[in-house]
Amino acid sequence: MALNLYWMQAGSCGGDTFSFLGSEKPDVPTLMQGLDVNLLWHPSLSNVSAPEHKRLLDSLDDGTTSLDLLVVEGAVLRGPAGTGMFDARGGRPRKDLVVALARRARYVIALGTCASFGGFGVAGEIDATGLQFTRAEHGGLLGQDFRAGSGLPVVNLAGCPCHHDVLGGTLMALLAGAELALDEYQRPLDWYGTMVHQGCTRNEYHEYRVEEEAFGEKGCLFFHMGCQGPLTGGPCNKHLWNQRSSKTRVGVPCFGCTSPEFPADSPFFATRNIEGIPLALPKGVKRAHYMAYKAMAAAAAPERLKTRSTEV
Amino acid sequence: MNTRIIRDIPFNLVEGDLEVSIEYGDGRVTDAWSAGTLYRGFENLMKGRGPLDGLVMTPRICGICSTTHLFAAARALDAIAGLTPPDNAVRVRNVALMAEHVQSDVRQSVLMYMAAFAHPAHAGHPLYDEALRRYAPAAGSSAIDAIRETKRVLEVVAILGGQWPHSSFMVPGGIAFAPSQANLLQCQQLVGAYRAWYERRVLGCPIERWREVDSRAALDVWLAESSAHRDSETGFLLRFGRAAGLDAIGAGPNAFLSYGSLDLPQETAVVAQTRQLVAAGFARGNAVAAFDAAGIAEDVSHAWYRNHGTLHPAAGETDPYASAQEGRAYSWIKAPRYAGQAVETGPLAEAVIDGRPLFADIVSAGRTSALARQLARLTRPATLLPAMEIWLQELIEDHGAPIIVGDGQVPDGEGAGLLQAARGALGHWVRIENGRIARYQVITPTAWNGSPRDATGQRGAWEEAILGTPVANPDNPIEAGHVIRSFDPCLVCAVHTVRRRV
Repeated sequence: MALNLYWMQAGSCGGDTFSFLGSEKPDVPTLMQGLDVNLLWHPSLSNVSAPEHKRLLDSLDDGTTSLDLLVVEGAVLRGPAGTGMFDARGGRPRKDLVVALARRARYVIALGTCASFGGFGVAGEIDATGLQFTRAEHGGLLGQDFRAGSGLPVVNLAGCPCHHDVLGGTLMALLAGAELALDEYQRPLDWYGTMVHQGCTRNEYHEYRVEEEAFGEKGCLFFHMGCQGPLTGGPCNKHLWNQRSSKTRVGVPCFGCTSPEFPADSPFFATRNIEGIPLALPKGVKRAHYMAYKAMAAAAAPERLKTRSTEV
Repeated sequence: MNTRIIRDIPFNLVEGDLEVSIEYGDGRVTDAWSAGTLYRGFENLMKGRGPLDGLVMTPRICGICSTTHLFAAARALDAIAGLTPPDNAVRVRNVALMAEHVQSDVRQSVLMYMAAFAHPAHAGHPLYDEALRRYAPAAGSSAIDAIRETKRVLEVVAILGGQWPHSSFMVPGGIAFAPSQANLLQCQQLVGAYRAWYERRVLGCPIERWREVDSRAALDVWLAESSAHRDSETGFLLRFGRAAGLDAIGAGPNAFLSYGSLDLPQETAVVAQTRQLVAAGFARGNAVAAFDAAGIAEDVSHAWYRNHGTLHPAAGETDPYASAQEGRAYSWIKAPRYAGQAVETGPLAEAVIDGRPLFADIVSAGRTSALARQLARLTRPATLLPAMEIWLQELIEDHGAPIIVGDGQVPDGEGAGLLQAARGALGHWVRIENGRIARYQVITPTAWNGSPRDATGQRGAWEEAILGTPVANPDNPIEAGHVIRSFDPCLVCAVHTVRRRV
């Protein structure tokens, strides 16, 4: 039997939809057909008129249409003053519709960092929140105890945008009945259990602490350019973007966009450091160890890296 | 005449949230109010941040034109730092932006605009069955084809910039990394393959043949010439659109704006009328005048902001206030005007200002319509793909030349980054003080096209364009939808074209 998917956009840029359209393994039409997914509604892509949409929402509300999958893209806006009216539809706050649909759904997926953790505007006047987290704080719009019909909490597919292969992979796992192991922020370990740093083509430069200090060089971006790759869980250098590359491979630091704290308040493209060693070290590494290791590594750096003759 | 007002009609198949209220009488739209119903307050988030942070934050304004926001942000920083990027940086930036455009033009046309042709409300149309076979969401033959091909051309942006959407590879003075020769050859292959598909399926003819279509009469000849032309996406748009009367509705304000876009490198084989591939200008009808950025001002008389007067974006103020202009305000979108005039911007405006003969003919004959606007969009890649190929070839030949000037830092100062997004004129206005962003202001294409009224009562472009549109069923005004979608609305962008007093 076909599985009903309702896709809504709240305080969103639409980037997760457009990232998803870049999915390759499989591509979107193949995925939807293969999993027998019936797209009830997507604001940009489904061909449903306003009166039909209203009837659809009524039938989801009274249960005559089952809701297997709810995908929410974008932050839930609670401003101004808790009314939610910075994001309204038909004169009512959209947050109310998110709550109503989430209560009916078998699975609830927060697609992207805004839907997962609030993202842009958590501290701003729009009072943004994620579905079950506000930044790293558990709760969010739906509350800590929320469980979808399946018994799972909100599945957070973080990233700005979410990497194109992650939603398809998650749908395949859920619909196959496979156990979806989640981390402390409810992100599936299959994609968020690896570091963005892993697989970066600049890894040799990191290893021997050969640093990029200006745009356009070959070197590691961690020490001066603000790269968050060693601190950030995500698949960017494991499953390449658009089948081709990643930001770090083209000299753009990782901004930590899968993290609950994204976007950080401190300036991008700069590493805060003490005595030349970054304040924030690779996840789980102790400072004393790291300083000793990096001093030795820099001393051991081969000429081909010091002269930046090895390609990245 | 009996009229009634139907409020808050949401329109799907657009980017973001759009609700339009229409007044309806004698089978036609007699008045219209277009509302952006989402406020994200992006510019406020910029205040106090690091000077380069616009390169990371502003692409996240829009998921479909993130490269364009990045480019506008980088241009503003170039201007503040007084840097002129070297030729190869200009080429890489341009090619990435153009890859985003040729993707967007086809996706919007096939997955949104023509998808609406497959709605059951068109069941009586002689081409309905074919529309259904082609454009059923994620299942029609053209929809599947477009999804597969457009994502491949976006691989060009990933090769040059790391990922699409939302990269930050354009930096003050240039780009963050020099693509390798192998990278560039891959880009060349991808653009060549996309061009071949575009010619085969979207145009049904070589680009050179399409460029010979220089008048309405020549368009009729082209359409009659072969089944390949008629069966192409362009041919189907014309056949379905004419039979549905889309060539007789949606005229709009008959005033057009382009900021100009795609600077030519110092040395290049690409030929253009100015130092930009897409010319800047303002046109009434097809009478083109020079564009002067000083002519831009924003009015908030019908938007939910405290009114501080009609101001240029570099001096403007914004106070979101949901009880402002009580009884009059109906949108989070402000009303930008050029020399006091409501204008339309986008591919049709570019074609008119560039003086492309087919569209100059349509406009001068007073035949501006929803169909003409959509035709300009679907065929714009024919003007971009050949230049992309030349710039990639020049990058391969000049491989190893500089890709950045300056030290990547930006001093205190004020600057603007103006260019053409897929949907039209986009501007970022930036001021940096004491090493931090003091003001960041954005006016998007949809703010121009989808603005509410101004203090003189002048409607926004698509409010104006749907006046007089015949509507068979006022509860499902599909005809008005075709007109509004011909502007390619992007509400995710427009809803935060808001500025805040700093």
